[in-house]
Amino acid sequence: MGLRNFFDRIEPHFVKGGKWEQYFPIYEMVESFLYTPKTVTTAAPHARSYIDMKRIMTYVVLATIPCILMALYNTGYQTNLAIADFGASGWRAAIIEGLGIGFNAANPIANMLHGLLYFLPIYIVTLVAGGIFEVIFATVRKHEVNEGFLVSSMLYALIVPATTPLWQVALGIIFGVVIGKEVFGGTGKNFLNPALTGRAFLYFAYPAAMSGDSVWVPVDGFTGATALAVSASDGFQELAARGVTWWDSFLGFIPGSMGETSTLAALLGLAFLLATKIANYRMVVGCMAGMIGFSLLLNWIGSDSNPMFAMPWYWHLVVGGYAFGLVFMVTEPVSGAHTNMGRYIYGALIGFMVVMIRVINPAFPEGMMLAILFGNVFAPLIDYFVVQANIKRRAKRHV
Amino acid sequence: MAHKRRDMLVDPLVDNNPITLQVLGICSALAVTSSLQVAFVMSIAVTLVTAFSSMFISMIRNQIPGSIRIIVQMVIIASLVILVDQMLKAYAFEISKTLSVFVGLIITNCIVMGRAEAFAMKNPPLDSFIDGIGNGLGYGLILMMVGVIRELFGSGSLFGVTILETVNNGGWYVPNGLLLLPPSAFFIIGLIIWAFRSWKTDQVEEREYKIQSVEGH
Amino acid sequence: MSDKQQTPSEPQGFIRRFLAAPPDTVGKTLFVAISLCLVASMIVSAAAVALRPLQEVNALKDKQINILQVAGIYDPNEDVVEAFQAFEPRILDLATGTFTTEFDPATFDDRAAAEDPATSAALTDDPAGIGRQGKFVTVYLLRDDAGEIDKVILPLHGYGLWSTLYGFIALEENGNDIFGLQFYEHAETPGLGAEVDNPRWKALWAGKKLADESGELQISVTKAVPAAGPEYHIDALAGATLTTAGVHNLVRFWLGETGYKLFLDNLKAGKV
Repeated sequence: MGLRNFFDRIEPHFVKGGKWEQYFPIYEMVESFLYTPKTVTTAAPHARSYIDMKRIMTYVVLATIPCILMALYNTGYQTNLAIADFGASGWRAAIIEGLGIGFNAANPIANMLHGLLYFLPIYIVTLVAGGIFEVIFATVRKHEVNEGFLVSSMLYALIVPATTPLWQVALGIIFGVVIGKEVFGGTGKNFLNPALTGRAFLYFAYPAAMSGDSVWVPVDGFTGATALAVSASDGFQELAARGVTWWDSFLGFIPGSMGETSTLAALLGLAFLLATKIANYRMVVGCMAGMIGFSLLLNWIGSDSNPMFAMPWYWHLVVGGYAFGLVFMVTEPVSGAHTNMGRYIYGALIGFMVVMIRVINPAFPEGMMLAILFGNVFAPLIDYFVVQANIKRRAKRHV
Repeated sequence: MAHKRRDMLVDPLVDNNPITLQVLGICSALAVTSSLQVAFVMSIAVTLVTAFSSMFISMIRNQIPGSIRIIVQMVIIASLVILVDQMLKAYAFEISKTLSVFVGLIITNCIVMGRAEAFAMKNPPLDSFIDGIGNGLGYGLILMMVGVIRELFGSGSLFGVTILETVNNGGWYVPNGLLLLPPSAFFIIGLIIWAFRSWKTDQVEEREYKIQSVEGH
Repeated sequence: MSDKQQTPSEPQGFIRRFLAAPPDTVGKTLFVAISLCLVASMIVSAAAVALRPLQEVNALKDKQINILQVAGIYDPNEDVVEAFQAFEPRILDLATGTFTTEFDPATFDDRAAAEDPATSAALTDDPAGIGRQGKFVTVYLLRDDAGEIDKVILPLHGYGLWSTLYGFIALEENGNDIFGLQFYEHAETPGLGAEVDNPRWKALWAGKKLADESGELQISVTKAVPAAGPEYHIDALAGATLTTAGVHNLVRFWLGETGYKLFLDNLKAGKV
């Protein structure tokens, strides 16, 4: 218990009256990261629960592990595949050659290592850049640095393309943390998902680095459209012609943002989140129903000029960021609806919007990010109407 | 009296800024701030329209029937806006092309109507004129601030003069495309309001609710 | 509605009495409304009438500058009207590929003609997304000192992502080599589709060829270089798939069978 003693010894310096009083949030961050927070609510009412913020956030990070592994593997796999044709260059290639592992796409270790060399810099930059701003706000505003940032930063790193320049990664997460969260008062008061806010910022600020055909696989000269972009331009049937099967897409062996290609990995995370009751199943049900319902409707309407109309729901499920967004962002409790009825509506709205944007909007091939942000904005309104309806219903009963 | 008039001119710049405090005229502030030149011309146009419409309305304020006073104000404002639009088309065609419909939309700019209704209807012409100039300048100040940020980081230039050579033109600067889109002005105006209210804390609105302090360390 | 509001001592004279009267009577309301409208409308129409000639000159100048620019002879220090004298505007009948004297180029309005059922036709196959195509268009010929045609400037337009792009393409006298392309009106996304205005991208057009030796239209604006070869290919705008597709379609629409093909054949055969 040497560490515990260390914390207990230095704590007086950080609490009110201590010489490092203003740095309390930093102390608190490190301490509560390592130990169970000992703060307790002092005023009534009390609700007893095994769950606390730290546990929720830790579970979400645990749930992303399959996605992280897939992110590492698939990023490396796609890169190694392309390197076979286009050759390798840059410092990552130098490291890999130095280790003597090579660029064989059939070798899982080579893939994992190569993916790690892309994922790690992005993740570290995310943590440092976003973390600095978290700490600044925590210090000035005198609130704690919340474990929520660990989740946001992990999700953010998983939804950017592997080729994103690191300075853009930093700008994006700073925007997400400041505009998406801190200006509204920090974790728990953010009505937008910070990771998605940062991603959306990058999408609109640097579209050339965030969309198109050459950003998904970090090899010079290689262009590979995402499955979604192929579907948008030539129809999903074209995917088969390009050698992409539904199973490839489901398992995640397709080009895309690092962590969101694998539907299977996301669903494993979902199973964990549902089992631990971190994720609310109502949002998931709503979001699936909205997506399936609206894509069936569009299938039925049909269109001669727009091949996306014919895209069946099970393809919508496995391409783009739908599954990842569904599992880790739709279910995010703070920015979503808070009433049970509202959660169904909230989910359905996102499911509907994602298909709407993917199919009908000509400018954006991917709709999940914008659909979720749209849902976030509407969540308080949905709750309001649900509560009002409930009040009316009960008032009637009373009379 | 002189002191009061100076206040009329200076107050709307920061202390009672039409955009940041009254949150009026946001629509055009989003639309015309992607280039400084356009923002500048728009600021001048709004300043002139506000000043002269306030003055004319103030001149006939005792004759304006209450039942049609909004319409009377609109007619005067609209006429002035058309004048400005025609002038721009005749003497500054390039700029009028980029401003396009937004000159016409000065009519709907709440600042102009706001000053007419709130100030010019109750005050003499010269005061109303000065008040109009002040509010126009307050609007212009924010427009220019937003314009500097948007043009510099969105296109790498100021007043069309290249400051940061962009990648598309062979330089190093990767322009921020978000700043070229109108919604970015929302963020920037929001940040400016944040800055203003951190500086002048009396501008902070009172909370509509109170959070009870329940947690203690 | 107002007896109570009347001032006790009645002022003398009609105007004074009128001004002093409370503004809320029906008569005065009507009077203020009517006189204000009269004054305002007089001022506005006076300004409009007085400034119209200047505005028309500006609008014309704007178009002329664009034509000068696409032909590569624009000099900001030179008088636009004078420089524009070098061009010979002609009305082209697309159906025959020959010039017509049916209309006067000085007064012919391409856009109005493209809306008028008498001088336009609705398109069934409409890759450029323009709905109706005019049967007649104004083209500009630039002659060299010997009086031979040096360049032809052809107008074209079509739908991009958000807006219709209006522009000109300048071709060399052989009717196949592109000198330049310029859009003068569009509302594409700034920074992405609006990069059609970027000088570096516009410079890509110079020296490209429209059709191959067999006369097949090969020009394309795409990401990948087509089989026909790089001399028929302009690189797509980064991040602007739909604007690029729009430009691709409209260029092929206007320079193919549906547009200037007959005229260009005539030009090649020396019949212009």
